[in-house]
Amino acid sequence: MTQTPSAEPSPARALHAQGVTKRFGAITALSSGRISVGKGEIHALLGANGCGKSTLCKIIAGTVSRDGGTLEIDGRPADLKSPREAEALGVALFYQELSLVPQLSVADNIFLGHEPRNAAGFVDRRRLIADTEVLIARFSAVAGSGFAAGTNVSRLSPDQRQIVEILKVLARNPSIIIFDEATAALDKRQVDLFFSILRTLKAEGVAIIFISHRMDEVFEIADRITVMRNGETVAEYGAGEVDRDTVVHDMVGKLADHQREARPPRPAGETPRLVVSSVSGGRLRDVSFSVAPGEILGLGGLQGQGQSAILQGLFGAEPFARGEVSVDGRPVRLRRPADAIRAGLAYVSGDRGRDAALHGRSIFENIAAATLVSERRRFVWPSALKPRFEKAAAGLNTKYAGMEAPIGSLSGGNQQKIFIARWLATDASILLLDDPTKGIDLGAKGDFFELARDLAAKGTSIVFYASEDAELLGLCDRILVFNSGAVTAELSGDTRDAFHLTRAAYGETA
Amino acid sequence: MSALRDSLRGRVWLVTLAALVTLFLVNLALQPNLLTPNVLKSNLTVFLPLVLVAIGQTYVILGGDIDLSVGSIVALVNVVTVSVIAMTGGETGGILLGIAAGILTGLACGLFNGVLIAILRFQPIVTTFATGIIFGGLALRVLPTAGLPVPAGYWRTYAGNVLGIPTVLWIFVFALLAIAFIARRPFLTHLMATGGLRTAAFQTGLRVGPIRIGAYMLSGLFSAFAALCLTGETASGDPLMGRLLALSSISAVVLGGTALAGGRGSAFGSLLGALVIGMISNVIFFAAIPFEYQTLTTGLITLLALAGGVLVSRR
Ligand SMILES: Nc1ncnc2c1ncn2[C@@H]1O[C@H](COP(=O)(O)OP(=O)(O)O)[C@@H](O)[C@H]1O
Ligand SMILES: [Mg+2]
Repeated sequence: MTQTPSAEPSPARALHAQGVTKRFGAITALSSGRISVGKGEIHALLGANGCGKSTLCKIIAGTVSRDGGTLEIDGRPADLKSPREAEALGVALFYQELSLVPQLSVADNIFLGHEPRNAAGFVDRRRLIADTEVLIARFSAVAGSGFAAGTNVSRLSPDQRQIVEILKVLARNPSIIIFDEATAALDKRQVDLFFSILRTLKAEGVAIIFISHRMDEVFEIADRITVMRNGETVAEYGAGEVDRDTVVHDMVGKLADHQREARPPRPAGETPRLVVSSVSGGRLRDVSFSVAPGEILGLGGLQGQGQSAILQGLFGAEPFARGEVSVDGRPVRLRRPADAIRAGLAYVSGDRGRDAALHGRSIFENIAAATLVSERRRFVWPSALKPRFEKAAAGLNTKYAGMEAPIGSLSGGNQQKIFIARWLATDASILLLDDPTKGIDLGAKGDFFELARDLAAKGTSIVFYASEDAELLGLCDRILVFNSGAVTAELSGDTRDAFHLTRAAYGETA
Repeated sequence: MSALRDSLRGRVWLVTLAALVTLFLVNLALQPNLLTPNVLKSNLTVFLPLVLVAIGQTYVILGGDIDLSVGSIVALVNVVTVSVIAMTGGETGGILLGIAAGILTGLACGLFNGVLIAILRFQPIVTTFATGIIFGGLALRVLPTAGLPVPAGYWRTYAGNVLGIPTVLWIFVFALLAIAFIARRPFLTHLMATGGLRTAAFQTGLRVGPIRIGAYMLSGLFSAFAALCLTGETASGDPLMGRLLALSSISAVVLGGTALAGGRGSAFGSLLGALVIGMISNVIFFAAIPFEYQTLTTGLITLLALAGGVLVSRR
């Protein structure tokens, strides 16, 4: 018997998407997405952060509607209008940001929309629990404590939630499964078990798309690999016929070196403004670094590896369990945001809605919020503060009708500038930026980066996390790469480029 | 203590039950004949409308929305029912027709709210505030002034017994059965998912729009039931009936441990919450508190009962 090499996709196509395009307002998330997966094939989808992998997956799963291109499922054109329709065709998606309802139990989440019913149409609770326990049993050895069918999802740890999302996908008995960064929070033993499940599914003929952080995983499990870059599919090969450097080069492209902006070299022997030593807690494992006055430090790596946790810890929103922080040589205790504000730290998040905006309040009140805390003000004379705020906001080239206009009347980018103005008015010496440009348009992004550079030039220290690599490379003097809550590489000088950043993010030493 | 808290969390209605028992004992001390069947029955008659409206309101709130129009739905159902009965003559058939018209009116109001909010994506608070004004205006159009008595057959049945058991007790038991029925349908899980995290519910393939509309229709239905009870109690039509029911029902829902943010809570808790609100006014009445302090005291006791629930559910 002769074995044909695995270079060609298997003839039984489960899924074929071609020329898929998608825009969100001014942002082009996909310019030409293509992926083709055979039955019983594990297909890795790779690409730098923000290149459109999740968007392509959501289009296949019916959550996001495509603007153009074709999609075929089991050889038939599919025009999906909702996740429901995709599910009816056998497609199930593990959502990168999870699709679990925190208020519901593990069992309710896993079988949501597919509850076992008795003849009268009531939920058959006994079978619901029994079926859930059968599923949980597959992970029982590695799931940790407090993981039961009746537990509320809000009380589970991040890895346990990922396991629930995996089980929820499996419970649907799909014929096409997409795992969008399903192993992000899992440890080695959990990943091994997950892979053994993938191999079983593969043997059953299920088509699997697998997006992962880690090159090792990809080469361990994948049959074929598709690489995306800037919203476009740029390469496809069999996993056996390619090496890692080729894959990383395809992910990064030839543009890599042009993206790097010249930053003046840092003077040697500066005294650091912010020193973080051995902080741990939550997702973080023993993180240390320091930032000099006027320096822009980037936090890179794949999403959710602890970058936001560091920034929120520094801001006192999610205090560290262990470790020390000092500002200008003085140790500080950061147990709540007010501590951080008084120590001269400022925090701007991309989740404006959740973290920062005082909805329905005026621009004035939104700017004032931080000043009132940092100066321990109890009484406020608006007339005295207003000129100060107007000066801070004017420096940002922000368009607004007036200080009294509601915050909601501004575009996302201008809102973001108002939050920066909030901190400029407090004279913060350290600015923490937590993926600040999420969902704002390109022009506003440019202004925003201009502002950050100006502030750094005036001596403000900036710690910057971005989910898009190009932003990090464009702005930062130095980049720390995070993986699983620890710093795994530091890039500066010659190594501060897209190639090294991608390679380090995907788990290889830079 | 933390173990106790753990088991209480998610069962805030236990606290509401404790408050209810306390208020009941206080009431008993102030009013020794409380336990006689007649007094119990008249209490239940007074409490029943709020109990029913609060049950319906719970489903809307569980779905992450709110219904401020319930009071006006009650008024509209009331005037529609009495008008239909008057038009068809006071026979049993006419009464049943009036009841059916009232129930359909409640469902239609709920459907209207639901379509505006879940399909056209109007903001729930403002929308139901506005539709409340519309329903109230319609009620005035149907019956401009209070009056139009219902036939004796209607209110005698309501005030009397069926198979030896007071009608109001039957209705209360049916309300409990309805809660239990709905609690065992997949709909309730889907509704709580919708109120808990709407994007997740959508991504899971639930039909979020129809689910929210269903909740508003339940609210309209239970408001209609409440209106039919009030019609039995007052024996006539009144376009201004049920003015305070919207806010009282929301208080009852919150007292019963349902989160205003949606996704967490139970209709049974709201039923207890409504009884607590009823018992508070009883206690105030029998404690011979001077008139000018009654409202103030009601507010303070309600706040106290709420604080109990907040303390156990907070981490
Ligand atoms: N709902 C959305 N609204 C606006 N922009 C979006 C949205 N979803 C994704 N994007 C943008 O589309 C691009 C691709 O994102 P995504 O598909 O999540 O990338 P990946 O999964 O490869 O990291 C990014 O620039 C992202 O900011
Ligand atoms: Mg993604």
